[in-house]
Amino acid sequence: MITGARTSFQIQRDVVYALLLRELASRFGKSRVGFLWVLMEPVAHLVFPIAVFGFMLERTIPGVEYPVFLTYGFLPFLLFKTICLQTMDGTRANRGLLSYRQVLLMDVFVAKALTHCAVSASVFAVVLGGLALVGFDVLPPSPIELFGVLALTVALAFGLGMLFAALGTVSPELKSIARLIFIPLYFLSGILFPISRFPEDWLPWLAINPVLHLVELSRHAALPDYELVPELGAGNPLALAIASVFMGLALYRLRWLSRAAA
Amino acid sequence: MIRLEKLTKSYLTTRGRKVVFRDLTLEIPGRANVGLIGRNGAGKSTLMRLLSAVDLPDTGKIVTDGRLSWPVGLMGGMQGTLTGRDNVKFVCRIHGVRGAGMREKLDYVEEFARLGRYFDEPVATYSSGMRARLAFGTSMAFDFDYYLIDEILAVGDADFKAKSRRVFAQRLKQACVILVSHNMNLIRKMCDLVVHLDRGAATLYTDVELGIAAYEGAGGEP
Repeated sequence: MITGARTSFQIQRDVVYALLLRELASRFGKSRVGFLWVLMEPVAHLVFPIAVFGFMLERTIPGVEYPVFLTYGFLPFLLFKTICLQTMDGTRANRGLLSYRQVLLMDVFVAKALTHCAVSASVFAVVLGGLALVGFDVLPPSPIELFGVLALTVALAFGLGMLFAALGTVSPELKSIARLIFIPLYFLSGILFPISRFPEDWLPWLAINPVLHLVELSRHAALPDYELVPELGAGNPLALAIASVFMGLALYRLRWLSRAAA
Repeated sequence: MIRLEKLTKSYLTTRGRKVVFRDLTLEIPGRANVGLIGRNGAGKSTLMRLLSAVDLPDTGKIVTDGRLSWPVGLMGGMQGTLTGRDNVKFVCRIHGVRGAGMREKLDYVEEFARLGRYFDEPVATYSSGMRARLAFGTSMAFDFDYYLIDEILAVGDADFKAKSRRVFAQRLKQACVILVSHNMNLIRKMCDLVVHLDRGAATLYTDVELGIAAYEGAGGEP
């Protein structure tokens, strides 16, 4: 309005851009430690299992080096977890900024997700670059497929994050439960061990978990000759992503997400 | 002109739904400075939130032909972890002000708020007076038809008060103010009419003194 009338899309673009810069500034502006931590956290999560299980599993996954295997499983999981939790907490985080009529809650969600996509991209680059320097073969044979899997991961995390946020307006404790789910989820998503290490009759049950599908799809796209078990595929996470984004947006329209927790 | 059409707003509390307004209809004529008065809990802040579109009504709508500011108050709108400068930049960006326009606004706010080196310190380290100067200065940097002011003119030292009154008076030649205050002298000085909120009803008084009398009659502090 002040610089002549803007269209809704231009306003949203301006707002998301402003939030993005704000998000980066408040995350990295304060100290260099903040920036280091963002990089060190995933590295710390990777180093420990590599040290412990690396030797044990050296020969169990034919043709695959364990650190590369772990990286392509853990980084999508971390991407999923962070975007899901950040979206869930997005309702609480920037209350003050919503006092400007241009800024909508959805802009906050989108800006947070975009920020984290950018941060994840640099984490991917640093970790894979580090592995390549040490002499591992990290280049994915089907990069477009890998990109698609990661996009699907972001969509599912975003949708579920909105659903959790809506649950959080019913009772904040439900958010803590959602946060706790990620601990068993880490072990049930086949990040440390290949899925073939689980008993075979567990597979139909394990395959309910969409994150397991995403983790294995990521490896399938990134590691040469890595086979998917027939129970897994893009169908489960795709269906859940569409359903959760749809429901999340519907609840957003009904203002479930913006109402304060009782 | 601002028209409230059958406005209903309620909040969910642990003890059920609390209705602040039900079917509130009111027309505030254009080119008038409005004082919003009422006891604590009468719904002044809620009405401000609705006017500034921070919150949406359950039903009904607000029609206006003017540009309304964000609610200029002590809290809200400023991110404590960011510096004063970054906060002003944020406000510029969401209003689509970039480049030279942004530098101009930054200079204006820096000049107006007189924060010195604190302009580049996190807002969380500010005193309430400094916060008020920053918030008020930022709002004065932008052109609106209505400024929504929530109690903020009452803070700061005498010097700042005098200065902000002067700048504000200048602004009010083209714009109007909607002022929430418990300070009746301020209401008398600044407002052409008052809206008295009481028990979910809003009454418009074109005579400021009558409105203040109604407020005091309803148990408000004189």
